[in-house]
Amino acid sequence: MPKAISLKAWIFLLGVFLFLAPGLSFAQNYDFPALTGRVVDEANILDAATKIDLETKLEDLEKRTSTQFVVVTLKSLRGRTIEEYSNRLFRHWGIGQKETNNGVLLVVAPNERKVRIEVGYGLEGTLTDAITSVIIQGTILPRFRANDYPGGIQKGADAVLQVLSGNPDQFKPKTARPGVFVSILGVLIPFVFSVPGLVLTLILLHFMFVLFVNIGVWLGLIPPQSKRKRSSWSWVDSMGGGSYSSSGSSWSSSDFGGGGFSGGGGSSGGGGSSGSW
Amino acid sequence: MRARIVAALAAAFLGLQLAGCGINTIPTEEERARAAWSEVLNQYQRRSDLIPNLVETVKGYAQQERDVLIQVTEARAKATQVKVDASTITDPEAFKKFQDAQAQLSGVLGRLLAIQERYPELKSNANFLALQSQLEGTENRIAVARRDYIEAVRLYNTELKTFPGILWAMTLYRNNKPMETFTITEEQMRTPKVNFNKS
Repeated sequence: MPKAISLKAWIFLLGVFLFLAPGLSFAQNYDFPALTGRVVDEANILDAATKIDLETKLEDLEKRTSTQFVVVTLKSLRGRTIEEYSNRLFRHWGIGQKETNNGVLLVVAPNERKVRIEVGYGLEGTLTDAITSVIIQGTILPRFRANDYPGGIQKGADAVLQVLSGNPDQFKPKTARPGVFVSILGVLIPFVFSVPGLVLTLILLHFMFVLFVNIGVWLGLIPPQSKRKRSSWSWVDSMGGGSYSSSGSSWSSSDFGGGGFSGGGGSSGGGGSSGSW
Repeated sequence: MRARIVAALAAAFLGLQLAGCGINTIPTEEERARAAWSEVLNQYQRRSDLIPNLVETVKGYAQQERDVLIQVTEARAKATQVKVDASTITDPEAFKKFQDAQAQLSGVLGRLLAIQERYPELKSNANFLALQSQLEGTENRIAVARRDYIEAVRLYNTELKTFPGILWAMTLYRNNKPMETFTITEEQMRTPKVNFNKS
């Protein structure tokens, strides 16, 4: 490669980095089922009646206490331990409200014969490891051993619900969670407050952005109608000036997907316990 | 007046440029990694706190297992003696010491939990069961905390070594050293699970 080109390419890359680096993000590839509702029956072991009954109870729980409780059955653990997979799935879905981390995930993997109750940070004091262990050993596993999956899941969920409802501290009004609108505001407000700099900075940055893109096209590093990496947000985008930018968003799918139900952004540090039969 | 406006604009522009090209990234990632490290220490401490109770409970049922009980107590004392402070994560030797001491403790703890198989009374003791589930829960939390720490350190170390972070690492943040990370896998760390319900 001739030297002049590589220098140009380097300058181009520098430019791209300056403008796009903060926004670039790469989605982690990990095989998770979609959060289609409060009961996700990937393994297909629940009948419709049990499902509806559970959905109703879990929805009622969230309405009363803002606690999110999701039941999931898995076809497979994707080669992970149930502890690791449950924790990653919990975080991926973001079960529980973001501020309080009040989420519970009941994971059943019938093919690996493993079950786990994963508890969010905020409920570790209520639903302790010892309590979840008792529920799994005493309520869930005996029914699973008798091949009564719907019964075990239902009674296990009931026991968890009972524990959760016994704590009056949990009876708090549901907190609104910041949606897309708030996120956009969070980006916009700083700009609005720097009014003097706003117009000029925008024009300059946009001009330079376009320039770099053009240089890129000229160098053949970017195809003209590009299929570029999704930028999580380029504020040129949100300002409506990005005729060159691909559409992309950093707001996780859980904000949108889920057919009426979505995770609140809660997290878990591995609380709860597991069992096998 | 005009010069002032130009200066203000230039400052605003420069500020945006700097924020955009990652001047804040190294300190941000550093804080994140340190927070993850505190969580790791927190969970190891929690495990350490559970051990005396567990040893007492097992003692009541399995006097003849004195060797294991003594080993656990000693390993715990050794692990507690390892001095850990903010510099531990950037000091390979201190970090290795910490990791080895905790791994040693994990090993003997696994043996302690395994002896229950020979003592049906111990196995059905409510206190023991509660302690066991707490210990298992703590081991799992340690695994999660370690995973989070490893990921945070990976991001931080990468930022120190890659463009554009390396520019800041060479200029403003010269004292920032790469952090150490765990080399022993979670699986090796985890105490063996005892399935006491197998019929």
